[in-house]
Amino acid sequence: MKALVYSDNVSVLQESLTYIRKMMDADGVTEAEGAGDVLNYGAGKIYSLKGDSFYDNISSAIRQIYENGSYDFIFLGSTTLGREIAGSLSASLGLQPMTELISFEPKDGKAVTRRFAHGGKTVVEEESGAKVLTLMPGIADPEPAEGASATEEVQLGDSKLSLVERIEKQATAVNLEKAEVIVCVGRGLGKKEGISEVEPLVKAVKGELAGSRPVCLDYQWLTEDRQVGLSGKKVKPKIYIALGVSGQIQHIAGMRDSKTVIAVNKDKDAPIFEEADYGIVGDLYQIVPKLVQALQS
Amino acid sequence: MPYNIAVLIKQIPDIDQMKTDQNTGEPMTQNLPLRIENLSKNAIEAAVQLKEKNGGKVTGLIFGTDRSNAAMKEAYAMGVDEGFVITGYQDNSPALTAKVLAGKLKGMEHDMVILGNQSADTYTGLLPGMLSSLLGEPLIGNAISVEPADGQVKVTRVLEDHNVILSSKLPAIISVAQEINEPRLPPVLQIMAAGRKPINSEQAGINEESGVKVLSDRAPKSDRKREVYEDPEKGIPEVVKAIKEVIR
Ligand SMILES: Cc1cc2nc3c(=O)[nH]c(=O)nc-3n(C[C@H](O)[C@H](O)[C@H](O)COP(=O)(O)OP(=O)(O)OC[C@H]3O[C@@H](n4cnc5c(N)ncnc54)[C@H](O)[C@@H]3O)c2cc1C
Repeated sequence: MKALVYSDNVSVLQESLTYIRKMMDADGVTEAEGAGDVLNYGAGKIYSLKGDSFYDNISSAIRQIYENGSYDFIFLGSTTLGREIAGSLSASLGLQPMTELISFEPKDGKAVTRRFAHGGKTVVEEESGAKVLTLMPGIADPEPAEGASATEEVQLGDSKLSLVERIEKQATAVNLEKAEVIVCVGRGLGKKEGISEVEPLVKAVKGELAGSRPVCLDYQWLTEDRQVGLSGKKVKPKIYIALGVSGQIQHIAGMRDSKTVIAVNKDKDAPIFEEADYGIVGDLYQIVPKLVQALQS
Repeated sequence: MPYNIAVLIKQIPDIDQMKTDQNTGEPMTQNLPLRIENLSKNAIEAAVQLKEKNGGKVTGLIFGTDRSNAAMKEAYAMGVDEGFVITGYQDNSPALTAKVLAGKLKGMEHDMVILGNQSADTYTGLLPGMLSSLLGEPLIGNAISVEPADGQVKVTRVLEDHNVILSSKLPAIISVAQEINEPRLPPVLQIMAAGRKPINSEQAGINEESGVKVLSDRAPKSDRKREVYEDPEKGIPEVVKAIKEVIR
Protein backbone atom coordinates (compact mmCIF):
# COMPACT_ATOMS: atom_id res chain seq x y z
CA MET A 1 0.00 0.00 0.00
CA LYS A 2 1.10 3.52 -0.68
CA ALA A 3 -0.04 6.95 0.40
CA LEU A 4 0.40 10.48 -0.87
CA VAL A 5 0.59 12.90 2.06
CA TYR A 6 0.26 16.70 1.85
CA SER A 7 0.18 19.55 4.31
CA ASP A 8 0.84 23.26 3.98
CA ASN A 9 2.03 23.15 7.58
CA VAL A 10 5.47 21.60 8.01
CA SER A 11 4.93 20.21 11.50
CA VAL A 12 1.58 18.70 10.52
CA LEU A 13 3.28 17.04 7.54
CA GLN A 14 6.04 15.68 9.82
CA GLU A 15 3.38 14.29 12.18
CA SER A 16 1.30 12.82 9.36
CA LEU A 17 4.30 11.14 7.70
CA THR A 18 5.39 9.72 11.07
CA TYR A 19 1.88 8.33 11.57
CA ILE A 20 1.33 6.90 8.07
CA ARG A 21 4.78 5.43 7.39
CA LYS A 22 4.15 2.82 10.10
CA MET A 23 1.29 1.43 7.99
CA MET A 24 2.40 1.89 4.40
CA ASP A 25 4.88 3.51 2.02
CA ALA A 26 4.42 7.23 1.60
CA ASP A 27 5.40 10.13 -0.60
CA GLY A 28 5.02 13.69 0.67
CA VAL A 29 3.98 16.95 -0.96
CA THR A 30 4.52 20.46 0.35
CA GLU A 31 5.32 23.99 -0.70
CA ALA A 32 8.98 24.53 -1.61
CA GLU A 33 9.72 26.70 1.47
CA GLY A 34 8.98 23.83 3.83
CA ALA A 35 10.28 20.94 1.75
CA GLY A 36 13.73 20.96 3.35
CA ASP A 37 12.23 20.30 6.78
CA VAL A 38 10.38 17.12 5.86
CA LEU A 39 13.11 15.13 4.11
CA ASN A 40 13.82 12.95 7.14
CA TYR A 41 10.36 11.66 7.97
CA GLY A 42 10.36 8.42 6.05
CA ALA A 43 8.82 9.53 2.74
CA GLY A 44 10.21 7.82 -0.37
CA LYS A 45 9.92 11.07 -2.25
CA ILE A 46 9.03 14.65 -1.39
CA TYR A 47 7.35 16.69 -4.11
CA SER A 48 8.20 20.32 -3.63
CA LEU A 49 5.64 22.75 -5.06
CA LYS A 50 7.08 25.88 -6.66
CA GLY A 51 5.19 29.08 -7.33
CA ASP A 52 2.36 31.00 -5.68
CA SER A 53 0.14 28.41 -4.07
CA PHE A 54 -3.65 28.42 -3.66
CA TYR A 55 -6.12 25.64 -2.95
CA ASP A 56 -6.90 25.19 -6.65
CA ASN A 57 -3.43 24.88 -8.17
CA ILE A 58 -2.25 22.73 -5.23
CA SER A 59 -5.25 20.44 -5.81
CA SER A 60 -4.38 20.15 -9.50
CA ALA A 61 -0.75 19.34 -8.69
CA ILE A 62 -1.70 16.66 -6.15
CA ARG A 63 -4.21 15.25 -8.59
CA GLN A 64 -1.56 14.92 -11.26
CA ILE A 65 0.91 13.23 -8.91
CA TYR A 66 -1.85 10.89 -7.77
CA GLU A 67 -2.87 9.98 -11.30
CA ASN A 68 0.72 9.40 -12.46
CA GLY A 69 1.58 7.23 -9.49
CA SER A 70 -0.12 4.29 -7.87
CA TYR A 71 -1.45 5.47 -4.56
CA ASP A 72 -4.09 3.83 -2.40
CA PHE A 73 -4.84 6.85 -0.24
CA ILE A 74 -4.38 10.62 -0.21
CA PHE A 75 -3.85 12.14 3.25
CA LEU A 76 -4.05 15.85 3.92
CA GLY A 77 -3.25 17.67 7.13
CA SER A 78 -6.50 19.02 8.57
CA THR A 79 -5.84 22.75 8.25
CA THR A 80 -8.12 25.35 6.65
CA LEU A 81 -6.32 24.87 3.35
CA GLY A 82 -6.11 21.08 3.76
CA ARG A 83 -9.87 20.71 4.12
CA GLU A 84 -10.51 22.86 1.04
CA ILE A 85 -8.11 20.73 -0.98
CA ALA A 86 -9.76 17.57 0.38
CA GLY A 87 -13.16 18.77 -0.82
CA SER A 88 -11.88 19.86 -4.18
CA LEU A 89 -9.85 16.68 -4.81
CA SER A 90 -12.51 14.25 -3.66
CA ALA A 91 -15.10 15.87 -5.94
CA SER A 92 -12.82 16.13 -8.97
CA LEU A 93 -11.42 12.60 -8.60
CA GLY A 94 -14.75 11.11 -7.52
CA LEU A 95 -13.12 9.62 -4.41
CA GLN A 96 -14.82 9.27 -1.07
CA PRO A 97 -13.59 11.71 1.60
CA MET A 98 -13.34 11.42 5.37
CA THR A 99 -12.09 14.36 7.38
CA GLU A 100 -10.90 15.54 10.82
CA LEU A 101 -9.57 12.10 11.71
CA ILE A 102 -8.06 11.33 15.09
CA SER A 103 -7.11 7.83 13.93
CA PHE A 104 -6.84 5.76 10.77
CA GLU A 105 -6.26 2.11 10.12
CA PRO A 106 -6.35 0.33 6.75
CA LYS A 107 -8.40 -2.86 6.76
CA ASP A 108 -8.83 -5.02 3.63
CA GLY A 109 -8.57 -1.99 1.35
CA LYS A 110 -11.07 -0.08 3.48
CA ALA A 111 -10.45 2.68 5.97
CA VAL A 112 -11.33 2.37 9.64
CA THR A 113 -11.35 5.88 11.06
CA ARG A 114 -12.28 7.81 14.18
CA ARG A 115 -13.44 11.41 14.42
CA PHE A 116 -15.55 13.62 16.65
CA ALA A 117 -19.28 13.80 15.94
CA HIS A 118 -22.33 15.63 17.30
CA GLY A 119 -20.37 18.80 17.86
CA GLY A 120 -17.60 16.92 19.64
CA LYS A 121 -19.84 15.18 22.17
CA THR A 122 -19.10 11.74 20.78
CA VAL A 123 -16.35 9.94 18.92
CA VAL A 124 -17.58 7.92 15.97
CA GLU A 125 -15.68 4.96 14.55
CA GLU A 126 -16.49 4.24 10.93
CA GLU A 127 -15.55 1.85 8.15
CA SER A 128 -15.64 3.26 4.65
CA GLY A 129 -14.13 3.23 1.22
CA ALA A 130 -12.64 6.66 1.88
CA LYS A 131 -9.55 7.49 -0.18
CA VAL A 132 -9.11 11.20 0.56
CA LEU A 133 -8.60 11.71 4.26
CA THR A 134 -7.62 14.61 6.47
CA LEU A 135 -5.63 13.98 9.65
CA MET A 136 -6.00 16.24 12.67
CA PRO A 137 -2.88 18.15 13.75
CA GLY A 138 -1.17 16.29 16.58
CA ILE A 139 -2.04 12.80 15.28
CA ALA A 140 1.49 11.64 16.20
CA ASP A 141 4.63 13.09 17.74
CA PRO A 142 6.95 13.75 14.80
CA GLU A 143 9.91 11.35 14.76
CA PRO A 144 12.67 11.58 12.18
CA ALA A 145 13.33 8.35 10.27
CA GLU A 146 16.57 6.97 8.86
CA GLY A 147 17.64 8.09 5.41
CA ALA A 148 16.58 11.08 3.38
CA SER A 149 13.75 11.32 0.87
CA ALA A 150 14.38 11.96 -2.81
CA THR A 151 12.98 15.27 -3.99
CA GLU A 152 11.20 16.36 -7.11
CA GLU A 153 10.20 19.89 -7.98
CA VAL A 154 6.71 20.51 -9.32
CA GLN A 155 5.84 23.84 -10.92
CA LEU A 156 2.39 24.98 -9.84
CA GLY A 157 -0.04 25.99 -12.57
CA ASP A 158 -2.30 29.04 -12.73
CA SER A 159 -4.85 29.82 -10.05
CA LYS A 160 -8.18 31.60 -10.31
CA LEU A 161 -7.20 33.53 -7.20
CA SER A 162 -4.66 36.25 -6.73
CA LEU A 163 -2.89 37.39 -3.62
CA VAL A 164 -3.49 41.03 -2.74
CA GLU A 165 -1.75 41.11 0.60
CA ARG A 166 -0.34 38.87 3.28
CA ILE A 167 -1.01 39.97 6.85
CA GLU A 168 1.22 38.53 9.55
CA LYS A 169 -0.45 37.81 12.84
CA GLN A 170 0.89 39.13 16.03
CA ALA A 171 2.42 36.19 17.83
CA THR A 172 4.37 35.60 20.97
CA ALA A 173 6.93 32.93 21.70
CA VAL A 174 4.47 30.83 23.63
CA ASN A 175 4.47 27.05 23.44
CA LEU A 176 1.18 26.02 25.01
CA GLU A 177 1.55 22.42 23.84
CA LYS A 178 4.52 22.00 26.16
CA ALA A 179 3.25 24.03 29.12
CA GLU A 180 2.86 22.18 32.43
CA VAL A 181 0.35 24.63 33.85
CA ILE A 182 -2.12 26.71 31.85
CA VAL A 183 -4.45 29.45 33.04
CA CYS A 184 -7.13 29.99 30.42
CA VAL A 185 -9.47 32.97 30.42
CA GLY A 186 -12.84 33.02 28.67
CA ARG A 187 -15.35 35.67 27.70
CA GLY A 188 -16.29 35.85 31.39
CA LEU A 189 -13.20 38.02 31.83
CA GLY A 190 -15.40 40.81 30.48
CA LYS A 191 -12.63 43.26 29.54
CA LYS A 192 -9.07 43.34 28.29
CA GLU A 193 -7.87 45.07 31.46
CA GLY A 194 -8.96 41.93 33.33
CA ILE A 195 -5.80 40.21 32.08
CA SER A 196 -3.67 42.14 34.57
CA GLU A 197 -5.84 40.86 37.41
CA VAL A 198 -5.30 37.27 36.31
CA GLU A 199 -1.55 37.60 35.79
CA PRO A 200 -0.65 37.23 39.48
CA LEU A 201 -2.28 33.79 39.41
CA VAL A 202 -0.38 32.85 36.24
CA LYS A 203 2.85 33.79 38.06
CA ALA A 204 1.90 32.01 41.27
CA VAL A 205 1.34 28.73 39.42
CA LYS A 206 4.30 29.27 37.05
CA GLY A 207 1.90 28.84 34.16
CA GLU A 208 1.20 30.11 30.67
CA LEU A 209 -1.78 32.30 29.84
CA ALA A 210 -4.27 31.04 27.24
CA GLY A 211 -7.73 32.04 26.05
CA SER A 212 -10.95 30.73 24.53
CA ARG A 213 -11.75 31.58 20.96
CA PRO A 214 -13.75 34.77 21.63
CA VAL A 215 -10.91 36.07 23.82
CA CYS A 216 -8.24 35.45 21.16
CA LEU A 217 -10.18 36.03 17.93
CA ASP A 218 -13.22 38.23 18.46
CA TYR A 219 -11.89 40.54 21.15
CA GLN A 220 -8.15 40.03 20.66
CA TRP A 221 -7.50 40.37 24.38
CA LEU A 222 -4.81 37.75 23.78
CA THR A 223 -2.92 36.84 20.61
CA GLU A 224 -4.33 34.09 18.43
CA ASP A 225 -1.48 31.70 19.16
CA ARG A 226 -2.88 31.42 22.70
CA GLN A 227 -6.25 30.05 21.64
CA VAL A 228 -7.12 26.63 23.02
CA GLY A 229 -9.69 24.43 21.34
CA LEU A 230 -10.81 22.63 18.27
CA SER A 231 -9.60 25.38 15.98
CA GLY A 232 -6.76 26.40 18.29
CA LYS A 233 -4.09 24.59 20.28
CA LYS A 234 -4.56 21.10 21.68
CA VAL A 235 -2.93 21.18 25.09
CA LYS A 236 -2.20 18.61 27.78
CA PRO A 237 -0.81 20.37 30.85
CA LYS A 238 -0.68 18.84 34.31
CA ILE A 239 -2.99 21.60 35.50
CA TYR A 240 -5.52 23.52 33.43
CA ILE A 241 -7.28 26.39 35.16
CA ALA A 242 -10.32 27.74 33.27
CA LEU A 243 -11.58 31.15 34.39
CA GLY A 244 -14.89 32.40 32.97
CA VAL A 245 -14.92 29.73 30.26
CA SER A 246 -18.33 28.16 29.66
CA GLY A 247 -16.90 24.86 28.44
CA GLN A 248 -18.43 24.56 24.98
CA ILE A 249 -17.46 21.34 23.33
CA GLN A 250 -15.17 23.06 20.82
CA HIS A 251 -13.16 24.38 23.73
CA ILE A 252 -13.11 21.04 25.54
CA ALA A 253 -11.72 19.40 22.39
CA GLY A 254 -8.51 21.36 22.94
CA MET A 255 -7.96 20.66 26.64
CA ARG A 256 -9.53 17.25 27.21
CA ASP A 257 -6.13 15.60 27.74
CA SER A 258 -5.19 17.87 30.64
CA LYS A 259 -4.36 15.93 33.79
CA THR A 260 -6.22 18.02 36.36
CA VAL A 261 -8.83 20.59 35.39
CA ILE A 262 -9.89 23.43 37.68
CA ALA A 263 -12.77 25.73 36.74
CA VAL A 264 -14.04 29.01 38.11
CA ASN A 265 -17.38 30.17 36.75
CA LYS A 266 -20.19 32.22 38.22
CA ASP A 267 -22.83 29.96 36.66
CA LYS A 268 -23.14 26.73 38.64
CA ASP A 269 -24.68 25.01 35.60
CA ALA A 270 -21.85 25.93 33.22
CA PRO A 271 -20.82 22.84 31.21
CA ILE A 272 -17.17 23.36 32.16
CA PHE A 273 -17.94 21.89 35.59
CA GLU A 274 -18.75 18.57 33.89
CA GLU A 275 -15.20 18.55 32.55
CA ALA A 276 -13.52 19.71 35.74
CA ASP A 277 -11.92 17.90 38.65
CA TYR A 278 -12.35 20.89 40.93
CA GLY A 279 -14.81 23.69 40.43
CA ILE A 280 -15.53 26.89 42.29
CA VAL A 281 -18.79 28.71 41.64
CA GLY A 282 -18.17 32.43 41.84
CA ASP A 283 -16.93 35.65 40.29
CA LEU A 284 -13.42 35.15 38.98
CA TYR A 285 -12.47 38.66 40.08
CA GLN A 286 -13.17 37.66 43.66
CA ILE A 287 -11.84 34.10 43.52
CA VAL A 288 -8.54 34.78 41.74
CA PRO A 289 -7.01 37.09 44.41
CA LYS A 290 -8.02 34.62 47.11
CA LEU A 291 -6.39 31.76 45.20
CA VAL A 292 -3.19 33.77 44.80
CA GLN A 293 -3.14 34.58 48.48
CA ALA A 294 -3.74 30.96 49.49
CA LEU A 295 -1.04 29.75 47.10
CA GLN A 296 1.49 32.13 48.56
CA SER A 297 0.85 31.27 52.17
CA MET B 1 -23.92 47.28 -8.08
CA PRO B 2 -26.64 44.80 -7.08
CA TYR B 3 -25.65 41.15 -6.58
CA ASN B 4 -27.45 37.86 -6.81
CA ILE B 5 -26.35 35.93 -3.76
CA ALA B 6 -27.12 32.32 -2.95
CA VAL B 7 -26.70 31.38 0.68
CA LEU B 8 -26.46 27.74 1.75
CA ILE B 9 -28.15 26.95 5.03
CA LYS B 10 -27.70 23.80 7.04
CA GLN B 11 -30.30 22.65 9.53
CA ILE B 12 -29.00 20.49 12.36
CA PRO B 13 -30.37 18.88 15.52
CA ASP B 14 -29.70 21.15 18.49
CA ILE B 15 -26.50 19.44 19.60
CA ASP B 16 -26.12 21.76 22.58
CA GLN B 17 -29.21 20.11 24.05
CA MET B 18 -28.10 16.61 23.10
CA LYS B 19 -27.22 14.25 25.94
CA THR B 20 -25.37 10.99 25.80
CA ASP B 21 -26.61 7.83 27.48
CA GLN B 22 -25.22 7.50 31.02
CA ASN B 23 -24.41 3.82 30.54
CA THR B 24 -23.55 3.30 26.88
CA GLY B 25 -22.27 6.81 26.11
CA GLU B 26 -24.29 6.77 22.89
CA PRO B 27 -25.88 9.98 21.62
CA MET B 28 -29.58 10.44 22.38
CA THR B 29 -30.84 12.11 19.23
CA GLN B 30 -34.57 11.36 19.43
CA ASN B 31 -36.89 14.36 19.73
CA LEU B 32 -34.09 16.90 19.56
CA PRO B 33 -35.34 20.23 18.23
CA LEU B 34 -33.82 21.37 14.94
CA ARG B 35 -32.08 24.68 14.43
CA ILE B 36 -30.00 26.59 11.90
CA GLU B 37 -26.35 25.59 12.18
CA ASN B 38 -24.10 28.27 13.75
CA LEU B 39 -21.96 29.26 10.79
CA SER B 40 -24.94 29.13 8.44
CA LYS B 41 -26.28 32.06 10.45
CA ASN B 42 -23.04 33.95 9.87
CA ALA B 43 -23.40 33.12 6.15
CA ILE B 44 -26.97 34.48 6.06
CA GLU B 45 -25.89 37.61 7.91
CA ALA B 46 -22.98 38.17 5.49
CA ALA B 47 -25.26 37.74 2.46
CA VAL B 48 -27.95 40.04 3.85
CA GLN B 49 -25.39 42.71 4.74
CA LEU B 50 -24.01 42.62 1.17
CA LYS B 51 -27.53 43.06 -0.17
CA GLU B 52 -28.24 45.93 2.22
CA LYS B 53 -25.10 47.68 1.06
CA ASN B 54 -25.16 46.97 -2.68
CA GLY B 55 -28.71 45.96 -3.50
CA GLY B 56 -29.67 42.70 -5.13
CA LYS B 57 -31.27 39.52 -3.94
CA VAL B 58 -30.47 36.79 -1.43
CA THR B 59 -31.74 33.30 -2.18
CA GLY B 60 -31.55 30.67 0.55
CA LEU B 61 -31.01 26.98 -0.20
CA ILE B 62 -31.51 24.20 2.30
CA PHE B 63 -30.83 20.58 1.49
CA GLY B 64 -33.02 19.15 4.22
CA THR B 65 -36.27 17.41 4.94
CA ASP B 66 -39.94 18.30 5.21
CA ARG B 67 -39.07 19.67 8.65
CA SER B 68 -36.82 22.36 7.18
CA ASN B 69 -39.41 25.07 6.57
CA ALA B 70 -38.92 26.46 10.08
CA ALA B 71 -35.25 27.11 9.34
CA MET B 72 -36.14 28.84 6.07
CA LYS B 73 -38.68 31.04 7.87
CA GLU B 74 -35.99 32.10 10.31
CA ALA B 75 -33.73 32.88 7.35
CA TYR B 76 -36.52 34.98 5.82
CA ALA B 77 -36.85 36.87 9.08
CA MET B 78 -33.12 37.62 8.91
CA GLY B 79 -33.52 39.10 5.44
CA VAL B 80 -33.36 36.24 2.91
CA ASP B 81 -35.68 37.10 -0.02
CA GLU B 82 -36.55 33.74 -1.50
CA GLY B 83 -35.98 30.20 -0.31
CA PHE B 84 -35.78 26.70 -1.70
CA VAL B 85 -36.03 23.65 0.51
CA ILE B 86 -34.72 20.62 -1.33
CA THR B 87 -35.86 17.49 0.47
CA GLY B 88 -34.10 14.15 0.54
CA TYR B 89 -31.40 14.71 3.17
CA GLN B 90 -30.86 11.56 5.19
CA ASP B 91 -27.58 11.15 6.96
CA ASN B 92 -24.50 13.25 6.76
CA SER B 93 -22.93 12.77 3.33
CA PRO B 94 -21.04 15.83 2.17
CA ALA B 95 -20.57 14.30 -1.30
CA LEU B 96 -24.32 13.95 -1.81
CA THR B 97 -25.06 17.38 -0.33
CA ALA B 98 -22.50 18.95 -2.68
CA LYS B 99 -24.00 17.24 -5.74
CA VAL B 100 -27.57 18.23 -4.85
CA LEU B 101 -26.66 21.85 -4.12
CA ALA B 102 -24.35 22.16 -7.15
CA GLY B 103 -27.18 20.82 -9.32
CA LYS B 104 -29.52 23.52 -8.04
CA LEU B 105 -26.90 26.29 -8.25
CA LYS B 106 -26.09 25.46 -11.88
CA GLY B 107 -29.60 26.42 -12.85
CA MET B 108 -29.58 29.63 -10.80
CA GLU B 109 -28.03 32.93 -11.73
CA HIS B 110 -25.60 33.92 -9.00
CA ASP B 111 -22.66 36.21 -8.42
CA MET B 112 -21.73 34.73 -5.06
CA VAL B 113 -22.43 31.53 -3.17
CA ILE B 114 -21.96 32.07 0.55
CA LEU B 115 -21.79 29.26 3.12
CA GLY B 116 -20.23 28.43 6.48
CA ASN B 117 -16.66 27.21 6.43
CA GLN B 118 -17.31 24.20 8.67
CA SER B 119 -20.51 23.18 10.38
CA ALA B 120 -20.86 23.00 14.13
CA ASP B 121 -22.04 19.39 14.20
CA THR B 122 -19.49 17.50 12.10
CA TYR B 123 -16.82 20.06 11.06
CA THR B 124 -16.08 18.16 7.86
CA GLY B 125 -15.39 21.42 6.06
CA LEU B 126 -15.66 19.64 2.72
CA LEU B 127 -18.56 21.39 1.07
CA PRO B 128 -16.78 24.59 -0.06
CA GLY B 129 -14.01 22.71 -1.91
CA MET B 130 -16.44 20.19 -3.39
CA LEU B 131 -18.76 22.90 -4.71
CA SER B 132 -15.84 24.72 -6.23
CA SER B 133 -14.87 21.60 -8.19
CA LEU B 134 -18.42 20.75 -9.22
CA LEU B 135 -19.32 24.30 -10.29
CA GLY B 136 -15.91 25.22 -11.69
CA GLU B 137 -16.02 28.44 -9.66
CA PRO B 138 -13.21 29.79 -7.49
CA LEU B 139 -13.45 29.39 -3.72
CA ILE B 140 -12.20 31.89 -1.20
CA GLY B 141 -12.51 30.23 2.16
CA ASN B 142 -12.67 31.16 5.84
CA ALA B 143 -13.56 34.79 5.11
CA ILE B 144 -13.85 37.55 7.69
CA SER B 145 -14.56 40.29 5.17
CA VAL B 146 -16.08 40.27 1.69
CA GLU B 147 -15.92 43.25 -0.66
CA PRO B 148 -17.29 42.84 -4.16
CA ALA B 149 -16.64 45.50 -6.82
CA ASP B 150 -16.43 45.60 -10.62
CA GLY B 151 -16.97 41.92 -11.27
CA GLN B 152 -14.34 40.97 -8.69
CA VAL B 153 -14.43 40.11 -5.04
CA LYS B 154 -11.80 40.88 -2.44
CA VAL B 155 -11.82 38.67 0.63
CA THR B 156 -9.82 38.63 3.84
CA ARG B 157 -9.15 35.01 4.67
CA VAL B 158 -8.00 33.66 8.03
CA LEU B 159 -5.32 30.99 8.11
CA GLU B 160 -3.72 29.35 11.12
CA ASP B 161 -0.63 31.54 11.35
CA HIS B 162 -1.32 34.45 9.05
CA ASN B 163 -4.17 36.11 7.14
CA VAL B 164 -4.33 36.88 3.45
CA ILE B 165 -6.37 39.17 1.28
CA LEU B 166 -7.28 37.35 -1.93
CA SER B 167 -9.23 38.41 -4.95
CA SER B 168 -10.99 36.56 -7.74
CA LYS B 169 -13.49 37.09 -10.51
CA LEU B 170 -17.19 36.64 -9.84
CA PRO B 171 -19.04 34.31 -9.67
CA ALA B 172 -17.23 32.93 -6.66
CA ILE B 173 -17.87 30.71 -3.69
CA ILE B 174 -17.14 32.26 -0.32
CA SER B 175 -17.05 30.32 2.93
CA VAL B 176 -17.23 32.39 6.08
CA ALA B 177 -15.64 32.11 9.52
CA GLN B 178 -17.54 32.75 12.74
CA GLU B 179 -15.70 36.05 13.29
CA ILE B 180 -17.10 37.68 10.14
CA ASN B 181 -20.15 39.09 11.92
CA GLU B 182 -22.65 38.77 14.74
CA PRO B 183 -25.86 37.31 13.23
CA ARG B 184 -28.88 39.53 13.85
CA LEU B 185 -31.83 38.61 16.01
CA PRO B 186 -34.79 39.59 13.84
CA PRO B 187 -37.54 41.76 15.37
CA VAL B 188 -40.93 40.17 16.05
CA LEU B 189 -42.63 41.98 13.15
CA GLN B 190 -40.18 40.51 10.69
CA ILE B 191 -40.64 37.06 12.18
CA MET B 192 -44.39 37.34 11.73
CA ALA B 193 -44.05 38.55 8.14
CA ALA B 194 -41.63 35.72 7.40
CA GLY B 195 -44.20 33.19 8.54
CA ARG B 196 -46.52 34.21 5.71
CA LYS B 197 -43.95 34.17 2.96
CA PRO B 198 -44.10 31.14 0.61
CA ILE B 199 -41.26 28.62 0.53
CA ASN B 200 -40.36 26.75 -2.64
CA SER B 201 -40.04 23.07 -2.07
CA GLU B 202 -38.61 20.41 -4.34
CA GLN B 203 -37.34 16.86 -4.15
CA ALA B 204 -33.63 16.11 -4.67
CA GLY B 205 -33.08 14.32 -7.97
CA ILE B 206 -30.18 12.26 -6.68
CA ASN B 207 -30.10 9.68 -3.96
CA GLU B 208 -27.03 7.67 -3.10
CA GLU B 209 -25.78 5.78 -0.10
CA SER B 210 -22.81 7.26 1.72
CA GLY B 211 -21.20 3.81 1.99
CA VAL B 212 -20.03 4.60 5.51
CA LYS B 213 -20.59 1.96 8.17
CA VAL B 214 -20.74 3.23 11.76
CA LEU B 215 -18.87 0.80 14.01
CA SER B 216 -19.44 2.74 17.23
CA ASP B 217 -20.54 6.21 18.36
CA ARG B 218 -19.91 7.08 22.00
CA ALA B 219 -19.01 9.93 24.29
CA PRO B 220 -15.30 9.88 25.08
CA LYS B 221 -14.80 8.69 28.64
CA SER B 222 -14.36 11.55 31.04
CA ASP B 223 -13.37 10.48 34.51
CA ARG B 224 -13.11 13.92 36.01
CA LYS B 225 -13.73 14.20 39.76
CA ARG B 226 -16.35 16.96 39.36
CA GLU B 227 -15.90 18.30 42.89
CA VAL B 228 -17.74 21.59 42.52
CA TYR B 229 -17.87 24.00 45.46
CA GLU B 230 -20.54 26.65 45.70
CA ASP B 231 -18.82 27.98 48.80
CA PRO B 232 -15.43 29.39 47.76
CA GLU B 233 -14.16 29.16 51.34
CA LYS B 234 -14.39 25.38 51.00
CA GLY B 235 -13.30 25.20 47.36
CA ILE B 236 -10.17 27.33 47.49
CA PRO B 237 -8.23 25.08 49.92
CA GLU B 238 -9.02 22.01 47.78
CA VAL B 239 -7.90 23.74 44.61
CA VAL B 240 -4.74 25.03 46.23
CA LYS B 241 -3.93 21.54 47.49
CA ALA B 242 -4.33 20.10 43.98
CA ILE B 243 -2.11 22.81 42.49
CA LYS B 244 0.57 22.44 45.15
CA GLU B 245 0.84 18.72 44.47
CA VAL B 246 2.10 19.58 41.00
CA ILE B 247 4.13 22.74 41.53
CA ARG B 248 6.20 22.87 44.60
C1 LIG C 1 -16.16 25.37 14.06
C2 LIG C 1 -15.99 25.98 15.41
C3 LIG C 1 -14.73 25.95 16.02
C4 LIG C 1 -14.54 26.50 17.29
N1 LIG C 1 -13.30 26.43 17.86
C5 LIG C 1 -13.12 26.91 19.11
C6 LIG C 1 -11.85 26.82 19.77
O1 LIG C 1 -10.87 26.34 19.20
N2 LIG C 1 -11.73 27.31 21.03
C7 LIG C 1 -12.78 27.86 21.71
O2 LIG C 1 -12.60 28.26 22.88
N3 LIG C 1 -13.98 27.99 21.10
C8 LIG C 1 -14.17 27.53 19.83
N4 LIG C 1 -15.39 27.68 19.23
C9 LIG C 1 -16.40 28.53 19.90
C10 LIG C 1 -17.18 27.83 20.99
O3 LIG C 1 -18.32 27.22 20.42
C11 LIG C 1 -17.65 28.82 22.05
O4 LIG C 1 -18.35 29.86 21.43
C12 LIG C 1 -16.51 29.42 22.88
O5 LIG C 1 -15.66 28.40 23.36
C13 LIG C 1 -17.08 30.18 24.04
O6 LIG C 1 -16.05 30.87 24.72
P1 LIG C 1 -16.17 31.28 26.23
O7 LIG C 1 -16.39 30.08 27.07
O8 LIG C 1 -14.97 32.12 26.52
O9 LIG C 1 -17.42 32.26 26.25
P2 LIG C 1 -18.91 32.05 26.76
O10 LIG C 1 -19.50 30.82 26.21
O11 LIG C 1 -19.60 33.33 26.53
O12 LIG C 1 -18.76 31.81 28.32
C14 LIG C 1 -18.41 32.77 29.25
C15 LIG C 1 -18.56 32.15 30.62
O13 LIG C 1 -18.06 33.03 31.60
C16 LIG C 1 -18.89 32.99 32.75
N5 LIG C 1 -18.69 34.27 33.44
C17 LIG C 1 -19.11 35.51 33.07
N6 LIG C 1 -18.66 36.44 33.92
C18 LIG C 1 -17.93 35.79 34.88
C19 LIG C 1 -17.21 36.20 36.04
N7 LIG C 1 -17.12 37.49 36.37
N8 LIG C 1 -16.60 35.25 36.78
C20 LIG C 1 -16.68 33.94 36.44
N9 LIG C 1 -17.35 33.50 35.35
C21 LIG C 1 -17.96 34.41 34.57
C22 LIG C 1 -20.28 32.77 32.21
O14 LIG C 1 -21.09 32.14 33.20
C23 LIG C 1 -20.01 31.84 31.02
O15 LIG C 1 -20.09 30.48 31.39
C24 LIG C 1 -15.61 27.13 17.97
C25 LIG C 1 -16.87 27.17 17.36
C26 LIG C 1 -17.07 26.62 16.10
C27 LIG C 1 -18.44 26.68 15.49
